[in-house]
Amino acid sequence: MVNIKQHRVLPGFGLAMGFTLLYLSLIVLIPLSSLLFKTASLSWADFWGTVASPRVLASFRLTFGAALVAALVNSVFGLLVAWVLVRYKIPGKRLIDALVDLPFALPTAVAGITLAGLYSSNGWIGRFIEPLGIKIAYTPLGIMVAMTFIGLPFVVRTVQPVLEDLEKELEEAAACLGANRRQTFMRIILPAVIPALLTGFSLAFARGIGEYGSVIFIAGNMPMVSEITPLLIITKLEQYDYAGATAIATVMLLFSFLILLSINLIQWRARRHAER
Amino acid sequence: MGIQVQKISKKFGTYTALDHVDLQVPSGELVALLGPSGSGKTTLLRIIAGLETPDAGSIHFDGEETTQRKVRERQVGFVFQHYALFRHMTVFDNIAFGLTVKPKTERPDKARIRRRVNELLQLIQLDNMANRYPAQLSGGQRQRVALARALATEPKVLLLDEPFGALDAKVRQELRRWLRNLHDEIHVTSVFVTHDQEEALEVADRVVVMNQAKIEQVGTPEQVYDHPASPFVFSFLGHVNLFHCRSGDHPAGAIASPTRVEGRSIGYVRPGDIRISRSAATSEDYPAEIVFIQGAGALPRVELRRLDNGETVHADLPREKYRQLGLQIGEKVFIRPTNMRIFVPDYQI
Repeated sequence: MVNIKQHRVLPGFGLAMGFTLLYLSLIVLIPLSSLLFKTASLSWADFWGTVASPRVLASFRLTFGAALVAALVNSVFGLLVAWVLVRYKIPGKRLIDALVDLPFALPTAVAGITLAGLYSSNGWIGRFIEPLGIKIAYTPLGIMVAMTFIGLPFVVRTVQPVLEDLEKELEEAAACLGANRRQTFMRIILPAVIPALLTGFSLAFARGIGEYGSVIFIAGNMPMVSEITPLLIITKLEQYDYAGATAIATVMLLFSFLILLSINLIQWRARRHAER
Repeated sequence: MGIQVQKISKKFGTYTALDHVDLQVPSGELVALLGPSGSGKTTLLRIIAGLETPDAGSIHFDGEETTQRKVRERQVGFVFQHYALFRHMTVFDNIAFGLTVKPKTERPDKARIRRRVNELLQLIQLDNMANRYPAQLSGGQRQRVALARALATEPKVLLLDEPFGALDAKVRQELRRWLRNLHDEIHVTSVFVTHDQEEALEVADRVVVMNQAKIEQVGTPEQVYDHPASPFVFSFLGHVNLFHCRSGDHPAGAIASPTRVEGRSIGYVRPGDIRISRSAATSEDYPAEIVFIQGAGALPRVELRRLDNGETVHADLPREKYRQLGLQIGEKVFIRPTNMRIFVPDYQI
């Protein structure tokens, strides 16, 4: 039998645990379970018919695919930005540091309109890229751009503190032992930041999947081509098809949860030995 | 492999860390760089390793210039104060690291790496811990792993930056004896940095005393302890009593190296070189009053106040002598410095 009443150095375990469970239930579990209840009002055939329709499947592919690409891009360049911010003394470092957070703070609609403007065929960037045969606005590529924009701070902000903690001596030790820069990066630095990088990746990924405001303006929203799942849900809601909307949402939720869970598992493995 | 340091200077901003430092480290010796913090000892070590570039001067390994050579090509083993072990690797992988990053043509095969690592694990007496992670080891064990890791590639020189600085007193004692024995076994030219004079005197073949970006004295532990070249060295290597005397006043027979002194001078006497007696045998004895006695420990320490000028003097007595005298606080006795060094006063600490 487990003795819950055993003495702990830190007081208030019971209260803290109770509060945590209550809070999580109120904020997370109850809304999500109501989603499931609503979905349960559908028959199995209706449910399947909704979520397995070609249009919905295409939107799943697009949303998860674009979010994945955006998160990967952010992992690479976010790591680079964090590295530069931590390791180098550069003029205007504070300003750059503050810029990183901007995608957090900006209303998503503003970001969406701005991006659509920039990348459309007569926008500042779009007019130079379109002659090259690359169309960004109103294509899946544009969705990736928007998701990359809003996901960047997650990677930078999770990796930055870990890099700050990484002793310079580790690199020096590696150099003394004869490792070249690539070996030092691949075998010493990367393994140390991988857990944080995975956290940043999964946050950026999750944000990308759920992103609505900044994406719809640049997406073009053509069914089967550039229509993201959140938009599809809104469309269903506007047609008063609540059950259908929640059915799609439920599938999305399940996928997201499974993906985040597996990332957490990988992370747990990577972090096991990271403690001093 | 001997190390020759020639006229090395290094500044960090306006702060001078090293000022035209010259040093010869003979092949196979264990040398201690000893000095207070900020004396430039760690900077010198890091310049020898190539982790820092000097502003001027050159470093030679056995006559071969290495000043411009990259860290990874210098073949130095470096041990850091805080171990700098790779936390995500096992003890085995940490030690093997230097061998596994070698270019393919020079890299030993898996079996040879395994053999070498096992050899080193035996050397550091941690053969049963090969699969542990650094987080699962004690401080002393981690530092031994760091040492094995540095030795794995058979470096030409071994450099240790305050290797025992982060350890507690007992482990420190054990580990420095162990390092001494290890060095007697493998004879790799080694330089270690320390601010602990006891450590330097106990472990090193040769002690380099540094102060304010310069080398004050180089010598064997006996030389620097018994024949310090400057007041700084004298006071840095153990406790010291200052005897203020007028010229000609000091007892000529008691001076270790008589110096012609003009005007006021200061005599430096180690607490162990003070003799306490109940009666004045000669005119060289100073009357003093016992202020405090600390009887515990290997050498009982007596604090006295000179009656002629009020200066405080510390004396260490052998236990036997201490029991024999049976001193009491407040008692009036006579003290005589049996071994005193005089330095010219403008050169004081």
